[in-house]
Amino acid sequence: MTLLKQSMAIQGIGCVGGFGSGNDQFVSALKAGHTSATTVELNHPAGQQTLPALLANTDRLTDFVSRRSLRRIDHFSRMALLGGYLAIEDAGLAVEDCGRIGIIVASGYGATNTTFNFLGSIIDDGDSCASPTSFSNSVHNVAAAYLSMQLQALGPNLTISQFDLSINAALHNAACWLAQRRVDTVLVGGVDEHSSLLNYCYQRYFANSDAVEQIDPFDFARQSAVVGEGAAFLVLSRHADKAKYGFIAGLDAGDFSQRSTVEDSDLLLIGADGHQTCGAMYEQLPTAQSLLNCTPCYGSLPVGQAFDLAAAGLMLREQSCYGVARQQPVGCSAQSSFDSIASLKCTANDQFSLIRLSRRGGDDA
Amino acid sequence: MTLKEQIKKILIEDLNLEDITAEEIADDEPLFGDGLGLDSLDAVELAVLVQKNFGVEIKDMEEGRPALQSVQALAQFIEDKQGK
Repeated sequence: MTLLKQSMAIQGIGCVGGFGSGNDQFVSALKAGHTSATTVELNHPAGQQTLPALLANTDRLTDFVSRRSLRRIDHFSRMALLGGYLAIEDAGLAVEDCGRIGIIVASGYGATNTTFNFLGSIIDDGDSCASPTSFSNSVHNVAAAYLSMQLQALGPNLTISQFDLSINAALHNAACWLAQRRVDTVLVGGVDEHSSLLNYCYQRYFANSDAVEQIDPFDFARQSAVVGEGAAFLVLSRHADKAKYGFIAGLDAGDFSQRSTVEDSDLLLIGADGHQTCGAMYEQLPTAQSLLNCTPCYGSLPVGQAFDLAAAGLMLREQSCYGVARQQPVGCSAQSSFDSIASLKCTANDQFSLIRLSRRGGDDA
Repeated sequence: MTLKEQIKKILIEDLNLEDITAEEIADDEPLFGDGLGLDSLDAVELAVLVQKNFGVEIKDMEEGRPALQSVQALAQFIEDKQGK
């Protein structure tokens, strides 16, 4: 684990997903251990089929942005906006305070629905009739740009896509910005959306899997992924002594088979989201280690680690374990107090992202 | 459906003007600025929608500026181009 020279204080959390929106609804889902999936239809040569999915509703965004201002903003960016606004609100910041914040949006897929609609409009109507609005919503940095414009944030703005490792990369950049004193605060988060392309992928690659309605995170050998979508954002600051949800104290990433450190946090929150290929790596973790998982609450998506960080921050603050524990019913509930939680995300190509949260900050956290 | 009604329907549905109905758009109401509140990106989108839906091309700003003044002006422009 590479410890950050200066830990980053988590001052606000905002999230939207299949569980609803806001920290209260997220915690309710975490306490329940899962969110009930809805079903989406997909066209298949064999006929109409359905898949379970955890989809996000962004109606609450009109609490922050006028309906007229939202008219050109697609679902992908609306999820990012809602997650960002909720985090800003949770941190006690007003839009007038956002002038010097930096914004980093991580996404594994990007705005796939709008991108494919735009490409579809070229195929259907020719390039002279392609929608300029769809084009502007399909560029990679659209969600971060909308956040900057709506929050009137004049700090640096970045969009990162490294599939499952996007959140780790985003936090590395946030740490740099804060250390360089380019900004006082960074709004950093992840967003991914469900699309018909994902339906196709599930049908193409997992058609022979058992029918599932919920992720079974600790059955590492079973393909049980359920598509999720949503956004989870954190407000990070340079404070060394005051944090609403603890501190991000260490970041690590690399080849899973080559990792040299053993994670010694009190709790390990793993991002096993029902993908069999990643399960093989989680299976190598020591059986005695206390493992938690929250993926049945938000689903399977590349930026799932953003939701795990949100969950970890909420757990640190409340000193309560949420989600699903490997050693049910003990394990999680038996842990009376804890000072640190690590979030581990493994990828299909033997890579990992490890992020450590601690109750204590400081320059040498 | 008259041409003006078709244009209003396109404005509402394709430019996502969810806070207004077709009946509330006056034929001579300015589309931009203080009128309907459209902006430059809407103008480009509208030019594409006119071409897509009516087969009429707005070639440049010189042609587009008067044509996009109002629903009535746009309907007249389309009719003139279609030779009606």
